[in-house]
Amino acid sequence: MFASKRLSKELLKMQDHLPPGITIVKSDNLEEWQMDIKVLDSNPLYQNQTYRLKFTFSNKYPIEPPEVQFIECPSTSDHPRPIPIHPHIYSNGIICLDLLSSAGWSPVQTVESVCMSIQSMLTANSRDERPPGDSDFVSYNRRRPRDINFFYDDDNV
Amino acid sequence: MTSITLDELLAMEATCDRDEVVDLRSLETVSSYDDHLMCPICHCPFVRPVRLQCDHVFCQKCLNSAITAFAANRDDFTCPTCRTPTRGVYLNVPRLLLNMCDDIKVRCPCRNEGCPEIMPRGHVQSHVDKYCGYRLMKCPDSSCNKKTRKKNLSPEGRCLHEPHRCLRCDEYIMEQDYETSVLRKALREHIDTCPEVVHPCTASKYGCPVKVKRADLATHEQTCPLIAMGPYFEAQNARLDSLELTIRHLQQRNEIFEDGIANIRSTLVQSSRALADQESSPANSDPPRQESSSNQSQIDSSNLYTATTTNYLLSLHESLREEVGQLSHAITDLDARASMALMNECLRLKEDMAHTNAAVGSIRMQVQWLLNPRLHQGQRAGARPSNTNTGNGNPASTSGPSSAAGPSTAFLRPRRLSDSGREGTKL
Repeated sequence: MFASKRLSKELLKMQDHLPPGITIVKSDNLEEWQMDIKVLDSNPLYQNQTYRLKFTFSNKYPIEPPEVQFIECPSTSDHPRPIPIHPHIYSNGIICLDLLSSAGWSPVQTVESVCMSIQSMLTANSRDERPPGDSDFVSYNRRRPRDINFFYDDDNV
Repeated sequence: MTSITLDELLAMEATCDRDEVVDLRSLETVSSYDDHLMCPICHCPFVRPVRLQCDHVFCQKCLNSAITAFAANRDDFTCPTCRTPTRGVYLNVPRLLLNMCDDIKVRCPCRNEGCPEIMPRGHVQSHVDKYCGYRLMKCPDSSCNKKTRKKNLSPEGRCLHEPHRCLRCDEYIMEQDYETSVLRKALREHIDTCPEVVHPCTASKYGCPVKVKRADLATHEQTCPLIAMGPYFEAQNARLDSLELTIRHLQQRNEIFEDGIANIRSTLVQSSRALADQESSPANSDPPRQESSSNQSQIDSSNLYTATTTNYLLSLHESLREEVGQLSHAITDLDARASMALMNECLRLKEDMAHTNAAVGSIRMQVQWLLNPRLHQGQRAGARPSNTNTGNGNPASTSGPSSAAGPSTAFLRPRRLSDSGREGTKL
């Protein structure tokens, strides 16, 4: 109840105005939303690309953080959506960002502010690499993102 | 001014929540409000706001849930907005902030029940508590679990949810529903259309005694002879009405005439009596009693006489006025006619003038044409003497200039004549 009220208010506001590079793709229910983000500056790693984020909200949102990850649409489709290359983004779309963990989350965050944080995380990156142990993690991980205990060691991003 | 600890704040929560009738967060706002009045956690205008040491403000309830969710150890709770470590909470926020939040216009939460009120948020609690007639209350009958609008609650505590049967058909309507004026109208409408209602034949005013259910009415009406006669009856009724009207008019006129006759008769009687009095008064041989009575009658008759004279004068005045009106009519008529005649005459004269102008113009042309050969001859005649002068070498110097001046005066004179002639026509 609390979550749906807050989400419908956020949605109203976002339908009115969104920051550049962020668009709503799917918001028909109040449990899962999809957003498209673009990196607007001329970072060669992400230029002319659009990435799709999936938000999954629990009914305790915004007290609890939403589950946020990139999802991939095949390059053969009309709107190809790859997983951006980044030292903190696994190739299955899982994002290692302390903002999204229950320790780093704050209830004042919104879908819009999370999108902007991820946008700036991509903008600031210059390394064309996946996180260490990416292939192992991708093949063995069956946990949901919020159950993974990341160790946030990099303060530069 | 003093701050309380987070634990104390959590303890307050339980006591505060109970007296709330309305969930202020679910109200529909009508006016737009500033984003700064919005709690960053619930995105609603602040409800019972509290302030942290870092001056960030949250709803008390939102902050409570944030504290319970984040800080297992209360000591490392940080402000959700700026992450400043926080130990204390101030319950006093600026009055300005509270007033601005309470001023936001919202709809009554009982809007779905029909309450149209829009009020400042600060008044919602008392409105719903005391004044709103649309608030749903528990049915006074303890065995009934339905709810009733507050304004429909009957003082004797009756349950309004028992279904009552429509008197004519088998539809069930709850008393609660036809108790309200709107839905009672629905019941009335239903009776208007219900096929089971016994309805008299439409020709009942002409004496058809049949009364059947509405469903059977159509079949009866097809065979009812009085309905077939209906249009004829209507026409007769209309005729009777118009006749009555004319009779009433005639009666009125008759009364007026009767009055007039009575007047005339009384004046006649008076005048004859006056004449008789005049004849009798010179005799003067009556006893004094009779005299006094005749005096009285004389006074009466004089009164009547003045009345009749004023009447007469008034009528004279009326007739004079009519005559004056007729005269003024005649005068305006004459005026119009005279002006028309004048205009016609003027037009004719103008045309004549134009004709004469044209004629004069053509005459002038002709005169000029006729004069032209004369002038040429004059010129030639003037030129010839000069030629002969030079050719012959005769010293006819006196005749030369005089003959040369001759044609020039001959040239000028007719021109002058024609000019003067033109001036004459112009005048």
